[in-house]
Amino acid sequence: MEMTSSVARGRRRANPYLDLESYDPEADLMVLNLGPQHPSTHGVFRLKLYLDGEIIVKVVPFVGYLHRGVEKLCEKLTMVQLVPIFDKNDYVSPMMNEQSLVMAFEALLGVEVPRRARYLRTVLAELQRIASHLLWLGAFAMDLGGALGGGATLFMYCFRERELILDVFEELTGCRFHYNTHIIGGNRHDVPAGWAAKVHSALNVIEPRLSEYESFLIVNDIYIERTRGVGIVDGALAMELGITGPVLRAGGVDHDLRRDAPYHCYDEIDVRVATAEAGDCEARASVRIAEMRESIRLVRALIDGIPEGPLGARKPIKTPLAEKATEGHSYAAVESPRGELGVYVVGGGDNRGASPYRLKIRSPSLHVLGCLPYILPGHSVSDAVAVLGSVDPIMGEVDR
Amino acid sequence: MFYFTDSLRSLAASMRNVFRRPTTVEFPAVRRPRPARYRASFALLHDEAGDELCVGCKACERICPSEIISVELLKKESPVTGKKRAYASDFVLDSNACIYCELCVQVCPTDAIVMVKTPEEPAYHRQSLVLTMERLYENEKHRPLSWANATLLAEMQAPESKGATKVAESE
Amino acid sequence: MNPWLRGLLYALLITNVFLTITAWSIWFERKFSGRMQSRLGPTFYGPWGLLQPVVDGIKLIQKESLIPASADKLLFVVAPPLTVVLALGTAAVIPFSSDIIAADLDIGVLYLLALGSLTIIPVWMSGWSSNNKYAMLGAMRAVAQGVSYEIPLVLASLVPVVLAGSMSLSDIVRFQIKNGWFAFWPPGPGFFAFLFFLPASLAEANRIPFDIPEAESELIAGVSTEYTGMGFGLLYLAEYLHTLVISAVASVLFFGGWDGPFAPGLHWMVLKTLGLFAGIFWVRWSLVRFRSDQLMSICWRYLVPGGLILVMSAGLWVHFTRGGG
Repeated sequence: MEMTSSVARGRRRANPYLDLESYDPEADLMVLNLGPQHPSTHGVFRLKLYLDGEIIVKVVPFVGYLHRGVEKLCEKLTMVQLVPIFDKNDYVSPMMNEQSLVMAFEALLGVEVPRRARYLRTVLAELQRIASHLLWLGAFAMDLGGALGGGATLFMYCFRERELILDVFEELTGCRFHYNTHIIGGNRHDVPAGWAAKVHSALNVIEPRLSEYESFLIVNDIYIERTRGVGIVDGALAMELGITGPVLRAGGVDHDLRRDAPYHCYDEIDVRVATAEAGDCEARASVRIAEMRESIRLVRALIDGIPEGPLGARKPIKTPLAEKATEGHSYAAVESPRGELGVYVVGGGDNRGASPYRLKIRSPSLHVLGCLPYILPGHSVSDAVAVLGSVDPIMGEVDR
Repeated sequence: MFYFTDSLRSLAASMRNVFRRPTTVEFPAVRRPRPARYRASFALLHDEAGDELCVGCKACERICPSEIISVELLKKESPVTGKKRAYASDFVLDSNACIYCELCVQVCPTDAIVMVKTPEEPAYHRQSLVLTMERLYENEKHRPLSWANATLLAEMQAPESKGATKVAESE
Repeated sequence: MNPWLRGLLYALLITNVFLTITAWSIWFERKFSGRMQSRLGPTFYGPWGLLQPVVDGIKLIQKESLIPASADKLLFVVAPPLTVVLALGTAAVIPFSSDIIAADLDIGVLYLLALGSLTIIPVWMSGWSSNNKYAMLGAMRAVAQGVSYEIPLVLASLVPVVLAGSMSLSDIVRFQIKNGWFAFWPPGPGFFAFLFFLPASLAEANRIPFDIPEAESELIAGVSTEYTGMGFGLLYLAEYLHTLVISAVASVLFFGGWDGPFAPGLHWMVLKTLGLFAGIFWVRWSLVRFRSDQLMSICWRYLVPGGLILVMSAGLWVHFTRGGG
């Protein structure tokens, strides 16, 4: 992990604990709640802005509106039953959630996953990354350009492409979203006949359309003016706050779990990690689009070479008490489209060890939201919305 | 400052789309064909002889993460073979809270419960979406069954299997 | 004919025609934007969804019209109809053909610009009277934007006036019939005046890419946040009406009004207006919006100096081709 000179550049960093009385006694500060109900806060998220005219002076984020008690539920259900519940954690990229959970359980139980299942998991993870980034692109365009306007057009295009990937998943698992296709020790659904051809045809449609979207939005001068220099998160701030994923890489830090701590079959292929220097919204967007292209390349390289072999290391599930772990603890992390999604599990809970004693979710979006009080002051309200769109928080995993 | 020229590029990109065929499917007049493994609702099955497959073992009730299945066991004489065997006297599946995880299909020892490819119709009352045993057996007759059942899933996942599934899936 | 009767008939005619066209422009927009987004628009009500505006109107009328308890009731209720009235008022001087014009004023352009600048006031009223921070932010932005973009609008409209030598709209059209449309001849001032007129008038009408006052993703609905029912319907309608009026004015000032390669008349005017109208929708559904300070910088740094240069060049052209005047 090497740091580039963005640290030395000394980016502006605001004081999140600014004492408002000392700010300017003449100023008439207005409190605006970019409140839980808002067309563009990516879920229920409250951002309390102190405004001086249109300039933000202080930002206080409030989370917890979507808290569902997942970690407590994990102490009650058994390890076998938890996988479909965990889909809903980061509800936009369910494959990543399932994979991080089963990887943590497999590390806890000492299960070795057969190669065919690991390979298939790699392919599914990369396809899910494309789908998640397409959703991000549509939502980001809507934040910039309006739900009735140019943003909505790009939103529809992105969802049209995303349908192709969801159709591919539908062929494989039966569900378009929230698949429950992973089990401890392998995968539940095997590749049907003709699946590779369907993946290829989907990717052949998506890749040229990505260039169309770039000509629609990314090289547009209006978009560049909106996003260049806005919301700069430099590498040092990101590392202090524990931010990972595209936000970190856009700040210049070259760190990607797929290459640096490989899991599944990532050690067999060469993942080209995209970084950018500037750390602003434009850099984050370009990193994500580069990641999309890289994922398309990876899937194309992998999809035709799925190895033969068994799909699971354990016998198929027949009871919820199939897997028991009475002691030990483990941590497993995947590189989700938002960053490092990790699961820390301590064994030895209820049901004679079939349930975890404690399960902690390390969600990337929670850390990313921590950077908002540092980078938003000094910008205007429109920039706040653009920044929130570009850091792509998913409140399901922030609040769990 | 090249707002005009860049805008012309965006305008061209959106106008190009006007001349493509729209991707809308006019649901519910037109329905998309669903793949063989699609999961949308449930059905209980009979075997070839006409006897109910469900033995009331409550495996699905125990595995369900949402706890929506409730099964009652009853031992009685089979109307087909004449021998005494276990049946389910009542089987209720509340699809209001179902998360469509397919775990109940996975664990069934007799392949009795499977999923079907068409969802239940929207209704005005929650009670209409609670699937009773009659409705589950009705679904077997009237709705297209999904490809997966417990034996096929176990074949896919078992450590002895090799390679892709041999089952050809049409449609 | 009795001038009062004539005026009344024209008022009724223009109001009905314009409001009907505006109502069906909602249908057109939804269909056109649907096609641009690779989907069908409304298809359910009537063939091709043509009865959609009727159904939308019924829906809005039967909704409960809420007035917030702490709102300024008079301003809140008066603002939406006032917007519609001002937008319709500008249609009084537009020449639809050589003999269809409601009021052939000698100062037609001045009247248009005056009413256009008045339209900022009801927008501000609706934002202020809502007693809502989002609405107030939208209102303040609308006032800043509207007042700033007045200047390029005036300067761009002055170019046809200088070239034609008269402020009356029908005189401008007659001049273009004889000497060529201003958007194409004279090549310098005319074409660039149109290019400046278009963003300035889009900013006056709060259309994307200048729709900061009603930015849905930042301020829930901008100035119309607290409006429901027919109040919202009128504000919504007024925006389309304003756009229609802009298209009509632009086709009169720059594209020759009722002139055409053959058989000049009302149909050419209708064709040009609707063509520009569709073009404005095309722009709306393809571009993202500007931030408010970028909007201001475009106005003051590029459009105002450019407009001044254009007016001077138009004056120079007139001086050298017609020897002063």
